[in-house]
Amino acid sequence: MTAFMLALLVGVLFACGAYMIMLRGQIKLVLGLGLITHAVNLALFGTGALKRGAPPIVPEAGATAAMASQFADPLPQALILTAIVISFGVTAFIVVLIYRRDALTGSDLAPGELATVINTADPFAGFDPRATLPEAADDYDILQYELDEVYNRPEAEVVYE
Amino acid sequence: MTLHPTVLALPVAIPLIFGALGLLFQSVRPTRRVRIQQTFTGIGLGANLVLALIFLVFTLSGGRMAYQMGLWPAPFGISVYLDALTAIMLTMVGLLSVVIFPFALATMDVERARAGFFPLMLFLLMGANGAFITGDLFNLYVFYEVLLMSSFVMLTLGGTPSQINGGIRYVVLNLMGSMMLLLAAGITYGTLGTLNMAHIAVRMGQAPYLVQAVIAGLLLIAFGAKAATFPLFFWLPSSYHTPHPVVTAIFSGVLTKIGMYSLFRTFPLFFPWLLNDWQPMLMTVAGLTMVIGVLGAFAQPTIRRLLSFHIISQIGYMVMGLAVAMTPNEFGVGFGLALAILFLMHNQLVKTALLLGGAAVELEMGTGKLNELGGLVKKMPVQATLFLIAAFSLAGFPPTSGFIGKLGLLEVTFSAGQWVIAAVSVVVSLLTTMSMIRLWQYVFWGKPHRTQPNRSGRAPHNAMLMTTGPVAILVALSLLIGVAAQPALDMVQVAASQAIDRVGYVQVVNPELTATDLQSLQELPAANAWRTAESAGG
Repeated sequence: MTAFMLALLVGVLFACGAYMIMLRGQIKLVLGLGLITHAVNLALFGTGALKRGAPPIVPEAGATAAMASQFADPLPQALILTAIVISFGVTAFIVVLIYRRDALTGSDLAPGELATVINTADPFAGFDPRATLPEAADDYDILQYELDEVYNRPEAEVVYE
Repeated sequence: MTLHPTVLALPVAIPLIFGALGLLFQSVRPTRRVRIQQTFTGIGLGANLVLALIFLVFTLSGGRMAYQMGLWPAPFGISVYLDALTAIMLTMVGLLSVVIFPFALATMDVERARAGFFPLMLFLLMGANGAFITGDLFNLYVFYEVLLMSSFVMLTLGGTPSQINGGIRYVVLNLMGSMMLLLAAGITYGTLGTLNMAHIAVRMGQAPYLVQAVIAGLLLIAFGAKAATFPLFFWLPSSYHTPHPVVTAIFSGVLTKIGMYSLFRTFPLFFPWLLNDWQPMLMTVAGLTMVIGVLGAFAQPTIRRLLSFHIISQIGYMVMGLAVAMTPNEFGVGFGLALAILFLMHNQLVKTALLLGGAAVELEMGTGKLNELGGLVKKMPVQATLFLIAAFSLAGFPPTSGFIGKLGLLEVTFSAGQWVIAAVSVVVSLLTTMSMIRLWQYVFWGKPHRTQPNRSGRAPHNAMLMTTGPVAILVALSLLIGVAAQPALDMVQVAASQAIDRVGYVQVVNPELTATDLQSLQELPAANAWRTAESAGG
């Protein structure tokens, strides 16, 4: 019964997470990712046997192989601990990315939902991308390119010396 | 030649130590900080390449070795494992980082360098090396995350709107891929009771087919997402054109190729029979990856977007090689895998050369848009020539490495009776040629367009040698593989024969193996055994 409930919970978390990722919205994206990582962690948790009140301690003398089935396997819990730390780091990174996108554009679903200014301690606070690098083409550029291509490709104007 | 097994910790330790040393100076005055970090990165990359070359010489003479971290015996501790496939990948990635390093020195802008670009190169290398050398499924996940975190930061370093947009897509899709890998590791532990790859290989044969299929499917999704195969490639073209051009070159040589390496490592080791059972699916994936990649490339308006679609297209050839790896043919089992490894090496060289050439153009002209470029052959004759050779190598013209790789893959797929995919791959080669010629014409041929001043203030043409040198080295290596094909083929055949040798892998990692374990390794389930069992049962 416990195993069935856990399986059901994992499934529900996966479904909710997948649904939330597919919605348009930055906070929903973060929450959806959080739900999916929880689902995976719970699935990992389920791979150790689900037993309560039996610490995995083997007496020094007289340990038998049969004892191993008495308690839950501690290894998956160690794996989950590692996985939680990693997914925490990645989620924090995504939150920072979203915060910055919000501050730079303010043009998602809710403008300025998260941030209105960029911290001055930010190493790239006064960093003008156009001063150092070619702009990356966005969808508008592609459209413009196609229009140029089909209708009036600009003529060459200046020749190198 | 003998090596003490503890040296197997060095591929991870060297980049970690030099990267951490570099970061220690993060609070030093900016100009000095960058100088110090560049020095440490240079030393670290050089030491890593020397080590990788030593490993390559060791393994090509037939040597294989494993080391148990912390001296915990095999199935309990984390094993690290070195064979020819690992050594080839270590060497290729080490070589690419060393070659890209001078290019990065010449072109990296001050802001990014001050924010710690150079130590990041080492951390990316550390994650890659760890993923190559580990012999533990969960440890593989951890090293993937190390690699991805460095790549996330590298991708968004600079924080421009397009980088952040591409970065979010990249991070989300790669996090999903990692979760699938973690789930696969969890299910493996729950059903087989082990995470050590050698031990998994021993126990996988006895597992029910459903369990095998679930684990294999999850691994295929996880690694396929990293490698940008057909249904899971969308993150690549939407993010690879956003960062500094040097970063794109590093990514194309390292990231997607690690996904392919992991497929080459795990599938022949865990479930070689599935490669035959699932051949139609793998062939479909390979074909669609090739076709969609190359067709997508035709619609792209900038150099880097176009080249990133070609990255996807070329991944399809490697999947094709993997799909015929275990099919008996006139060249022997495993020859498909050997050619897939050769194609991987070729692709790393040529794709990095093309992206570096494109980077030189973008940084020189201040734009990568095809309709704003033209006639650069007069301004950059050396780059134009090298780009053309690399483009023909990508398309598969003799005497380049692309010709050898594609010819071999064609022969082995024909010999395995898969003529449909062979035909698709020939058509895709033709389309690749057209697309690359179109790119070359737009950028280097024709009338020059309005000259734009290079806006970086640090003109790459002041560092001509540092920007053309790396491209020249990569193109020369591609030609070398094309001319000296037999030594290259011998090398990858050693790698493939070791990769499909499950008994050898298990014996190297865990010498104290019982006779029944060895027997269970050799008795592969017959192809389609589950279907016959099902039909017999009713």
